[in-house]
Amino acid sequence: MPKDQNLGEYLRLQGVSRRGFLKFCSATASLMALPPSAVAQVAEALATARRPSVIWLSFQECTGCTESLTRSHAPTVESLIFDAISLDYHHTLQAAAGHGAEAAREAAQEENKGEYILVVDGSIPVGNPAYSTIAGISNLDMLKNAAQDCFAIVAVGTCAAFGGLPNANPNPTGAVSVSEIIKDKPIINVSGCPPIPAVITGVLAHFLTFGSIPELDSLGRPAAFFGQNIHDRCYRRPFYERGQFAATFDDEGARKGWCLYKLGCKGPTTYNACATVKWNQGTGFPIQAGHGCIGCSEPNFWDKGGFYSPISAGMWGTREQLLGAAAVGAALGVGSAIAARRRQKKAQETVL
Amino acid sequence: MSSLDTIPVATEVATGNVEPLLHEIRHALKRLASGGEGTTIDLTRLPLAPSEEERIEETLGTGEVRAQVDALGPTLIQETSYPGVWLITHKNVDDVVVARFIEVTRIPELLRSQQADIDAGIDRLEDELRN
Amino acid sequence: MTLLDFALGPGLKWSLLIMIAGLTWRVVGVFLGRWRRDLSRPRSEAVVQGGLRTIITRSAPARELEKNIRFQHITGYIWHIGFFATVLLFEPHIAFFESVLGFAWPGLPSHLALVVAAITLAVLVMLTLRRMIHPVMRMITSTDDYVSLIIIISAMVTGIMASTHMFPRYETILAVHILNVELLFIWIPFSKLGHLFFWLLSRYRIGSYFERKGVKA
Repeated sequence: MPKDQNLGEYLRLQGVSRRGFLKFCSATASLMALPPSAVAQVAEALATARRPSVIWLSFQECTGCTESLTRSHAPTVESLIFDAISLDYHHTLQAAAGHGAEAAREAAQEENKGEYILVVDGSIPVGNPAYSTIAGISNLDMLKNAAQDCFAIVAVGTCAAFGGLPNANPNPTGAVSVSEIIKDKPIINVSGCPPIPAVITGVLAHFLTFGSIPELDSLGRPAAFFGQNIHDRCYRRPFYERGQFAATFDDEGARKGWCLYKLGCKGPTTYNACATVKWNQGTGFPIQAGHGCIGCSEPNFWDKGGFYSPISAGMWGTREQLLGAAAVGAALGVGSAIAARRRQKKAQETVL
Repeated sequence: MSSLDTIPVATEVATGNVEPLLHEIRHALKRLASGGEGTTIDLTRLPLAPSEEERIEETLGTGEVRAQVDALGPTLIQETSYPGVWLITHKNVDDVVVARFIEVTRIPELLRSQQADIDAGIDRLEDELRN
Repeated sequence: MTLLDFALGPGLKWSLLIMIAGLTWRVVGVFLGRWRRDLSRPRSEAVVQGGLRTIITRSAPARELEKNIRFQHITGYIWHIGFFATVLLFEPHIAFFESVLGFAWPGLPSHLALVVAAITLAVLVMLTLRRMIHPVMRMITSTDDYVSLIIIISAMVTGIMASTHMFPRYETILAVHILNVELLFIWIPFSKLGHLFFWLLSRYRIGSYFERKGVKA
């Protein structure tokens, strides 16, 4: 798609009818979690949308986020969105590598100054920048350079958004999130390990449609997708209300699909769209498959006690520590008893 | 995959979202009948248990009209047994569902011939006649 | 570290440690303190029976007084039973006790636990208001009582708000609820709420003392 063409013209030339375009808009509105009444608005905006340039930087990551995206369950919509954006650099997906590829990135940055969207997946090692480099450039330097002239940054995945797994205790590489380095650009955190593909494309679709930043929650995540916790939208919620819980992974409760709270489900404290948008072509999500939510879209999810200990169990320490406290209390008791006896004796002596 | 069926896993879960949805449809129908606007409900945004979407379909049943639009993959448009209530399933070219809506309307917008397509059609017909 | 992380981690740990240390301090201090030698001739030798009997008889008011304090008697029981049902039979609470004690027990359906909690809270609020209005009650109520009431009422209000998701961010209200309960843990050993653990001991002590003196009460 040539850069000066708008999306409406582009699709028409591709032989996509107005009906097809409306269908695309319906699916896109649904993808962006907009109400169906917004389809007309989406259609109007998309018909005249300009294609944004996207530069995708992969840092300390496992490629799971890119895997998630390329297996998006709405390939038609997604590929149209990808046709509609100009993905100018993505070193995992592109054929080119090394200095040539970096030159292309710099050219794209120069050409779309102030307008391109920077997508980042993976955390940035600042403890020792040598832990992750591309063409000899440290992640830190590349991020700072690429962020300079961007319009906004989309931090894809929990690593880019909150530091994620590399940031887990004891954080050997000194990994940090994008927002800890870049302070002067709007950052949209699309967290999740990996994020739901529809959420990644949904955010890109929002840029494409409205050319603006979507409404964000307190952690910088798009409110449309991260506005509600898993527990509130979970189809197993009625079991929680009824007090029917699976106690192990193979008991009667587990087989009957009861609530997984007691098996450590973090649904009540996790904000994401899994329970409604779902995974694998809408087939299901972890809880539907019988495993509790591990809270992967929340900061520091790796260091919040065990995945299999209930939220309310807390991290109160060990029983030995409680016994230790009892010993301290006993010692204090002995001390105050002795003090009291002394005081009483003295008082008695003065009376006598 | 037949061996999976032999594992005893019960899924007769109810979120309790089916009833309110049916009531929403009833209200939307009444609005439409008294000359009001139509309503569209996005099914993919509702928390539903695995069996509940089927229950909704069963309850609504199938009515007189069934249509397929071939644009960016098939779209199935089915009027339910309640006239004015349409079930619309958008699929992509790989036959995978990308979006599902319940539309309460006299005729779904997608079935109407669109102005832009009519204009393009006129051009094509004129070209055809010129040659 | 988020508020919830703090509440579930260091907050929970230290409040539990302080509560346990405080409780053992009080018990050990009392037992090892100087006991006044009773030089009088005992009227009865059955001090153990007397102590145990009083534990039971003090569970109901004396017959002569019953008529006057029936309201207090009944509402007091409702509040205590409701409170323990809420604390011990709400499933997320059981999960907490299981993590500390190592065993669990069957709980109530969450919405039933909620109803119990709401009734209990209503009774407690009523008793608190009575305490503030009734002239005699007012005279025997100290700051200790009011602090205890505030901590418990707010713990129940935040608990109900958390379990019904009546607050925009669940993790925030949950953290506030847990911190509130941690404040309760810390407050228990140093206040009248110590009766949660000491009521048996103090009844036994009074009972055996009275038995020795030949007091029938």
